[in-house]
Amino acid sequence: MLEFLLRVFGKNSSSSKNVAKERLRLVLVHDRADVSPQLLEELKEDLIKVISNYMEIDESALEVNLDTSDNMVALVANIPVIRMKRTAKRSEKIG
Amino acid sequence: MKKAKGSKAKTLFEQKEETDIMTGETPDIQNQVTEEMPAELASILDLEVGETGNRIEFEEGEKVPVPEKLSFKPLVHKDPWQQAFVDENTILIKRTVRSGQSIQFDGNVVVLGDVNPGSEIVASGNIIVMGALRGVVHAGATGNKEATVSAFKLQPTQLRIANHITRAPDGDYLSPDHPETARIKDGIVVIEVYQLGQDRQTKIC
Amino acid sequence: MGEVIVITSGKGGVGKTTATANIGTALAALGHKVVMVDTDIGLRNLDVVLGLENRIVYDIVDVTHGNCRLKQALIKDKRFEGLHLLPAAQTKDKTAVNPEQMRELCSELAKQFDYVIIDCPAGIEQGFKNAIAGAEKAIVVTTPEVSAVRDADRIIGLLESAELRDPKLIVNRIRPLMVKKGDMMSMDDIIDILAVNVLGIVPEDEMIVVTTNKGEPAVLDNYSRAGQAYRNMARRITGEEIPLMDLEADTGFMNKLKKLIGFK
Repeated sequence: MLEFLLRVFGKNSSSSKNVAKERLRLVLVHDRADVSPQLLEELKEDLIKVISNYMEIDESALEVNLDTSDNMVALVANIPVIRMKRTAKRSEKIG
Repeated sequence: MKKAKGSKAKTLFEQKEETDIMTGETPDIQNQVTEEMPAELASILDLEVGETGNRIEFEEGEKVPVPEKLSFKPLVHKDPWQQAFVDENTILIKRTVRSGQSIQFDGNVVVLGDVNPGSEIVASGNIIVMGALRGVVHAGATGNKEATVSAFKLQPTQLRIANHITRAPDGDYLSPDHPETARIKDGIVVIEVYQLGQDRQTKIC
Repeated sequence: MGEVIVITSGKGGVGKTTATANIGTALAALGHKVVMVDTDIGLRNLDVVLGLENRIVYDIVDVTHGNCRLKQALIKDKRFEGLHLLPAAQTKDKTAVNPEQMRELCSELAKQFDYVIIDCPAGIEQGFKNAIAGAEKAIVVTTPEVSAVRDADRIIGLLESAELRDPKLIVNRIRPLMVKKGDMMSMDDIIDILAVNVLGIVPEDEMIVVTTNKGEPAVLDNYSRAGQAYRNMARRITGEEIPLMDLEADTGFMNKLKKLIGFK
């Protein structure tokens, strides 16, 4: 009943147009990220570069993905660590 | 384009292997092009072959199953009148030819069905459509000006006979309910009521 | 040198071909030399929308394969002297043309015409790649539906990665009454999401069906609101500044009543 009245008087935040817009927005975040697999690949390489300064990782098993849940998109990275490096980045710079 | 005289049911498709469409030799018909044909249309006779997306193919040597009783003897024509009944080549298409389909055949084509807009039939001989003809047809495509196009409902998008091209007039026009025949008469394509028993009907190429 | 503009959408059935026919015709009506190129090989439609289907002898595949000269394949419109159509092939395959051939063709056409308008097939495969290959500018057609806007976004991304920057948007088939009620996304909603510039908005117009039936673009009908929208777009393409149509002007019973009794 309330919904009906709201519909009649318009100005309803859950009017079908707003539903459409919200759904679109979400879908597009994912689509746009999806558009370039090479972007993910670049990100992966950059991650490897940075992390390798601190620890030894299994590059072949590295996974980077965009995860869509109900109302948000997250960057999920699964990086298996083989061994921590004792000497940090700084020493390499000097050497 | 080599003429398929003698060999039976040789389709234009098969010629794809013999001559390349783009670079291949031009057909002899090019030499038959007369002055009355504008140069613009001259190369229309240089038809593309076998480049269709959706085509109907006929295998050479494919045999029609024949009941045992009817031994399939080659016809012997002793009398001239008997010979007059025998065409070189004719194919029968028992279905509707739809948009995007292209039938190209060295001989006569008979369609038991409609020929829809967006489809085309190209034949070196006559074209007969036992239905509505609404697509593009080209009879006598290798230069035969005696070729005709007949249909129960003759409403082609475009009609070509040998080196002549016609199309329906712009605007509304009445389409008759009776079968019609298109042929070249005194240098122009005319459309006539399909008539039986007339001398010229029996003399079709 | 003329401008080469591709009209595309991703999703099918949103009005690419109608937009091409109308914008092309409207540009010709303004006195420009225009050629419309149908690149939807195997599913050609622009010829029937323009009522020129029975004049086709050669098509785009014949031109790119050198079976005929370009001039022979160009079909003159029956209404406007400066309007031409290069039809797609109907009985051939999409792969019959490649992007390199399209680039060559477009640059050749651009020498002879003020505007080369390319009607792109639906989808993002070979046909799309061919259609955009020779284009310098792009127009993206969409409708106020989730599916069409999503596809438009994908297309804009693909256009940008093909160096076709700043595509212009046409929002087709807007129903002002539904927009007002909040049951349809408005132009602003769509712009908000897609973040591109607008070339024009077209109200839903039943007359489009009638004009298409007759093979006459809606721009020829002075009373058609969609026709008016496309005439405006043509003038915007030529560089004129025309404000967007006020879609609400003619809608609503009260407005009509007010108009009728002279309040407006």
